[in-house]
Amino acid sequence: MHISDGVLPTSVALGCYGLTAVLNGVGLWRLRDHTEELPKIAVVTSSFFVASLIHVPFGPTSVHLLLPGIVGALLGPAAFVSITVGLLLQSLLFQFGGITALGANALMMGLPALAAAYAFPRLRGRTRTSHAIAGAICGAGGTALAAVNLAILLGTAGESFFGVAKIALIAHLPVIVIEGVVSAFVAAFLFQVKPELLRP
Amino acid sequence: MIIHLPFFPLLALAALTGAAALQLRRRRRQNGQADAQEPDWSAPVLDEAADRDSPFHRWDARLKIASLFIYCFLVVSLQTLTWAAAALAISIAAVMASRIPWSRPLRRLAAMSGFLTMFLIVVPLTAPAVPGETLIVLDPFSSLILHGEGLRLATLVVVKACAIALLMEPLLATAPLAVTLQALAALRLPNAICQMILLAHRYIHVLGHEARRMQRSMRLRGFAPRTDLATLRAYGNFLGMLFVRSFDRTQRVFEAMQSRGYRGAFPTWTTFAATPADWAKGAFWIIMGIILLTMDRLNLC
Repeated sequence: MHISDGVLPTSVALGCYGLTAVLNGVGLWRLRDHTEELPKIAVVTSSFFVASLIHVPFGPTSVHLLLPGIVGALLGPAAFVSITVGLLLQSLLFQFGGITALGANALMMGLPALAAAYAFPRLRGRTRTSHAIAGAICGAGGTALAAVNLAILLGTAGESFFGVAKIALIAHLPVIVIEGVVSAFVAAFLFQVKPELLRP
Repeated sequence: MIIHLPFFPLLALAALTGAAALQLRRRRRQNGQADAQEPDWSAPVLDEAADRDSPFHRWDARLKIASLFIYCFLVVSLQTLTWAAAALAISIAAVMASRIPWSRPLRRLAAMSGFLTMFLIVVPLTAPAVPGETLIVLDPFSSLILHGEGLRLATLVVVKACAIALLMEPLLATAPLAVTLQALAALRLPNAICQMILLAHRYIHVLGHEARRMQRSMRLRGFAPRTDLATLRAYGNFLGMLFVRSFDRTQRVFEAMQSRGYRGAFPTWTTFAATPADWAKGAFWIIMGIILLTMDRLNLC
């Protein structure tokens, strides 16, 4: 779920922009000697963008995938830059998330990706099963973290929005399960087919 | 105090559902031509209407982006419904002045309709009671009570979101994407980010085609999405394959770019030259935003 324009107080929206700029600056600074990485990150970003267009059926409705865990596992510290660019494009092309809320949305999705970038290499182990478990933890945990971030951000808009924040949290429960399972299969697939893509 | 439902939120709700219905009809019409089961992988082209002529098209892209960006932040700071509605009217006028076909801004409103409808329904029901506020009882269900203050806040959010979403088209669709990105670079957005936006925007369309082809071959092998583990497994492998192919492609893309002389930046042809008219337009938008905010804070109607 993306936060649209007009929800967050201006101070929160601007503060999130500042923090997002700092985290992007750190990410780009770490890439400064590897400019050949940029086109790669761009292409991977568009593959995540395309992946987010997939709607998985869930009973009578459907949910779309976000995969913050897999973004982190594949891109490592560059994940935050990739998520910011992906969300900017989603906002510009589809109006998923408003332009003034871009900083908040980037934090909401980017922090879980960074957490997954930290956790995945430590959890992955050496077998297909252990990769699947690490994928499940990063996928489900990343989505849960994103849902908590969303609820906190909605909560900053005032007491009137607590109800929406709670409903958003509850609505994310099935998404957490689906993300965990799909991320587990993606991690196991990548381990079998092209393990060098998963960062050491 | 029990009153009838006010007209404005209902109107906003009706407009949003109308936009959603429009989107649904468009989807259905497209699917009728192509395929009933295939998901819509296509991403809209951002600068489709860039070759028209309007005050927005003739505006220096740097000043256009900078002043409209600041104006958007002034609009989200509004707190009264009256002045948020005024901002919405200004945005509608801006879309008309930019001569962009209405289907594009309406598609933006439809994309937000789910999130905003949730706000319109949930916030009035769950908002804390404010002394002296109007309570609205929905007649057939006497236990459902809408809080007047919550309804006002939710409507305010919807109106502000629509006002800004409508401005995105005059902001982004009135110049070729390359020029917009060059303007962003001139506004000190890091060059690396600009490069990534341009490349990612290009490859969204390429990988969308790839995804569509893979999805088609999955269906030919008898895949039908359901709510079960096998479906999630199939999607997991599908995504894994998409990532593997995109990684393989990046290497070839990068080599091809290098062999054409890519050294970390794209060559540019446009040079910006701001005229007094460009500055005047920028000043016009910022002053308008400040006037809106001042009137809003002084609560002048």
